[in-house]
Amino acid sequence: MSQYTIKFSKEGYICYTSHLDLLRLFKRAFKKAGILLSYSQGFNPHPKMGFAQPLSLGYSSISEYLEFETGQEYEPGFLLSRLKAQMPEGIHIASCEKSEGSKKSLAARSVAAEYVIGIPLKEMPEEDGKALCSQFLSQKEIRVLKRQKKTKAMKEVDIKEKIQDLNFTIAGENLLIWAKLDSGSHSNLSPELLIEAVKKLCPFMADRNEIGVMRTKLIFEK
Amino acid sequence: MEISKELDKLLKKVEKPARYIGCEINSVIKEPQPGMLRFGFAFPDTYEIGMSYMGLQLLYHVMNKEETIFCERVFAPAMDMEDCMRRENMELFTLETKTPVRNLDFLGFTLQYELSFTNILNMLDLGGIPLLAKERTEEEPIIIAGGPCAYNPEPLCDFIDVFLIGDGEELLPKAVKLRRKGQTKEEYLKELCKLSGVYVPAFYEPEYYEDGRIKEIRKTWEHAPDTIERALVRDLDAAEFPQDLIVPFIEVVHDRAVVETFRGCTRGCRFCQAGMIYRPVRERKPETIKRLAQAQLDSTGHEELSLLSLSTSDYSQFETLATELVGMCREQNVSLSLPSLRLDSFSFKVLEEIQGYKKSGLTFAPEAGSQRLRDVINKGITEEDIYSAVKQALELGWNHVKLYFMIGLPTETQQDLDGIAEIAKTIKAINYELKGRKGGRFNVTVSVSNFVPKAHTPFQWEAQDTEESFRKKHDYLTKQLSVKGITFNYHDTEISRLEAVFARGDRQVGKALARAFELGCKFDGWSEHFNGAMWKRAFEETGIDPAFYAQRKRSYDEILPWDRIDPFITKAFLMRENERALQEITTRDCRQGCAGCGMNRKAECMPEEDK
Repeated sequence: MSQYTIKFSKEGYICYTSHLDLLRLFKRAFKKAGILLSYSQGFNPHPKMGFAQPLSLGYSSISEYLEFETGQEYEPGFLLSRLKAQMPEGIHIASCEKSEGSKKSLAARSVAAEYVIGIPLKEMPEEDGKALCSQFLSQKEIRVLKRQKKTKAMKEVDIKEKIQDLNFTIAGENLLIWAKLDSGSHSNLSPELLIEAVKKLCPFMADRNEIGVMRTKLIFEK
Repeated sequence: MEISKELDKLLKKVEKPARYIGCEINSVIKEPQPGMLRFGFAFPDTYEIGMSYMGLQLLYHVMNKEETIFCERVFAPAMDMEDCMRRENMELFTLETKTPVRNLDFLGFTLQYELSFTNILNMLDLGGIPLLAKERTEEEPIIIAGGPCAYNPEPLCDFIDVFLIGDGEELLPKAVKLRRKGQTKEEYLKELCKLSGVYVPAFYEPEYYEDGRIKEIRKTWEHAPDTIERALVRDLDAAEFPQDLIVPFIEVVHDRAVVETFRGCTRGCRFCQAGMIYRPVRERKPETIKRLAQAQLDSTGHEELSLLSLSTSDYSQFETLATELVGMCREQNVSLSLPSLRLDSFSFKVLEEIQGYKKSGLTFAPEAGSQRLRDVINKGITEEDIYSAVKQALELGWNHVKLYFMIGLPTETQQDLDGIAEIAKTIKAINYELKGRKGGRFNVTVSVSNFVPKAHTPFQWEAQDTEESFRKKHDYLTKQLSVKGITFNYHDTEISRLEAVFARGDRQVGKALARAFELGCKFDGWSEHFNGAMWKRAFEETGIDPAFYAQRKRSYDEILPWDRIDPFITKAFLMRENERALQEITTRDCRQGCAGCGMNRKAECMPEEDK
C-alpha cells in the first residue's frame, strides 16, 4: 500500500461542478487509467481517496489536493502522466508526490487557505484599498449572519478571529481582496461570510453573481 | 475555454449549473471550417433526462464521425435557468461551443414523448426562432425531428420543416449532408424527400369533413412520395454504435455504459407501439456486444453496464451472453444491470449472481388483471408464471415486488379490475405462506397507468376511457388495495388524456399546442409542472375538442392522420389483430410462426424457431 498526493487546478467552466462530481470524476479517471486504488473494508467498499478541503461550487482554484492510496506501488511520474491524460478541460494536474511520514490526512492537517476575491464596483469609493481594509479590520467585532448546519436558522457570528491576514486593492473598477482565512476542521471561515461582511462596509459592491473567488493556496500543519 | 461573462453570471444563480457547461469527457469540439454543417441535437427535456438517452449518444457519435458535420447538444433549460436567460435576453445555446442555436444549419429534436411537445416550442422561442415553419426565413436553421413520436408527426407539422421516420443512424447524416450552400430550403426539402424515411409536411395538406374527420390528404407538390416508407437499418451488427460515450459530470438518471443488443420485438402485444414500429428483430452478435461493452467501459470509466432492448431475455443467445458478461463485470468491479428479464430459473441465477445481497425490487408487468383481458391485449404471461416466479424470488430473499398494470384497455370489465387487486393480494398470501407471521418486511407495489391508444398499433382505432371513468376506477382500486404491505399508485388522468390527444392527433391540434405554449405550459410530463387548467383553456380558445381525438372510436375506413407513414406492417394486419383481440384470440410470438404483419416483404425476419 502506498499513498500519493496530487496537486491540481480547477478553472473555467469546470468550476461549476460540485465536490461530489469531482470525486466521481477522479474515481472514473483512476479506473480508466488502470490505477488500482485500495478500498475500504465493509459492506459498501469505497476507494481510499479524498480532497484536502472541499471547494465551493463556482470557485476556481490553483491549489487543490487529492490524496489517494493504491494497492500497489507506482512511480509518481507514471501516475502523473496517466492521470493527466484523463482530465477534462479546466483541470490541470501539476504534480504527484508520494506521501511519506505523516500519518494524518491532508484534510486533518489543513489549517488555512488563501483566496483572491474579485468584486466589480458599481461606483468608486473615496478611500483607497488600504484605507478600506484598515477601516474594515478596525471594527471591534465583524459580525455576519451564518446559517446553522443543524437548525438551518440564521445566527450572527463574529468572524474577526478567523481572518488571518487581509489586503484590499482597487484595480480598475474592481475591488480585489486577498485573504488568508482559517480553513480546517478546528476552525473554518468561508469566503462567503467575508464577502457578506465587506458588503456592509462597501454597499457599492456588485451583486454576488458577478463576484469571482479563487483559492490560491492551502496551508497545512506539519 | 473562457467563460463568457454573461453566462458566468447566470451560472452563479441557478441550480446545478453543470447542466449548462458542456466540456464532459468524450464530448466533441470541432474547429468550425467553412462549409461545415452545424447541427444541434435538441432534447426537449432537462440535461439529466436527455443524457440518459442512448439515442442521443448514438446519433451524436455517428454525426460527429462525419468530417463535414459538427453535432452539438442542446437541452431544455430548467425553469430557473430559463427565467434568468429570458431576463438577460440570452438565447438558447449549444453546450459544446455556446453557439446560439439560431446560428446553426440544423436544429434536430428527438420526439420520445408526446408531452415534451410544448418544450420544443419553448426551445425554439428561447432560441429566437419563429415557431411556425411558414414564418421562418432562409436565415434560420432547418428544424428537423425524429423518434417514435414522429410516426404520427401531424400535431407538430406547423412547426417542423422535416421529419425523419424510422431508424436514424444511417438516415440522419445522409439527410444533413445533402444540404448545400446557396440552395434554398425548398430546393433542399424537395431533394431530401426522395430519401426513404423523409416526410416533409409542407408537401401534404389534409382536408376535413365538417365533423372533423379527414376527407383527404392531398399532395401539394406532385413529386412528393405517396407514402413515406420508414428508414430501416437492415444489419444492426454492422451498424455504428458509440464506444466513446459522453460522461456527465453531474449525476443523471442512468450513469452507465449501455449496449443495444437488438432492436424490435416478436411478442406482438397489441397495445405496444414499440413492438410494432421497430420490427423486425435485428440482433447484434454476442462478440460485437462484448467488444462494444468493453470499449465503452475503457473509454468512460463507468462502474455500471446495462443492456438495451425491448425485452432482454428474448436475445437469441441470452444465456451465453449473460454468463459471459457476468464474468467480465466481476473481473472489472463493474456492476451489471439487466432490465426487463423474463423471470425463469436462469434469470434468477443471473440476478442472484449480479445483485447478491443488494436485491432491487422484482418487477412484473402483467398489464391486465385477468387471463381474458391478457388474451385481448396478447400479453403472454399467466398468473401461474407470476406466482411461481414470486415463490422462487421469495426463497432467494427478495422482499419487494412491483407490478405494472394498465386500466381502460378495450373490453375491460369490473372483473378485470378485481383481478388486479387479487394478484397483489395473492402475492402477499404467498409470502405469508412461505415465511409465516415473522416473514419480515415485504412489500408489493401496484402501479397502474391509463391506457393510451397509439398510432400504428392494433388498438389505433379504439377509444380511450373517459376521465370520469378513469377516476372511478382509481377510486375503486384505491379502496381495494388499501391493505397493509401494498402500495398503490396511478398516473394522472389529465396527463394521460393529453398524451392520447397528441398520440393520435391531426394537424388541427397543433393550434392548441401553440396556444398552450403561449399560456405558459411546459414540462407537461412532470406532474409538478403540468397545468391542466391552462390546457383546458388552450383547447377551448382554439376550438379543439380533446375528446374527439382521445375518446372517439374510429371506423376502419376512416382516413387516419398518419396514413401516409408506412411502418412496413400492413393496416390489414392491424385490423386483423384488433378483431382477434375483441374475440379474445391470442396471436403467438412470431418466432414460433409468422403472424403475417407484412414486415417480411421488406426485410428478413429472425428465423422461426420451429423450422
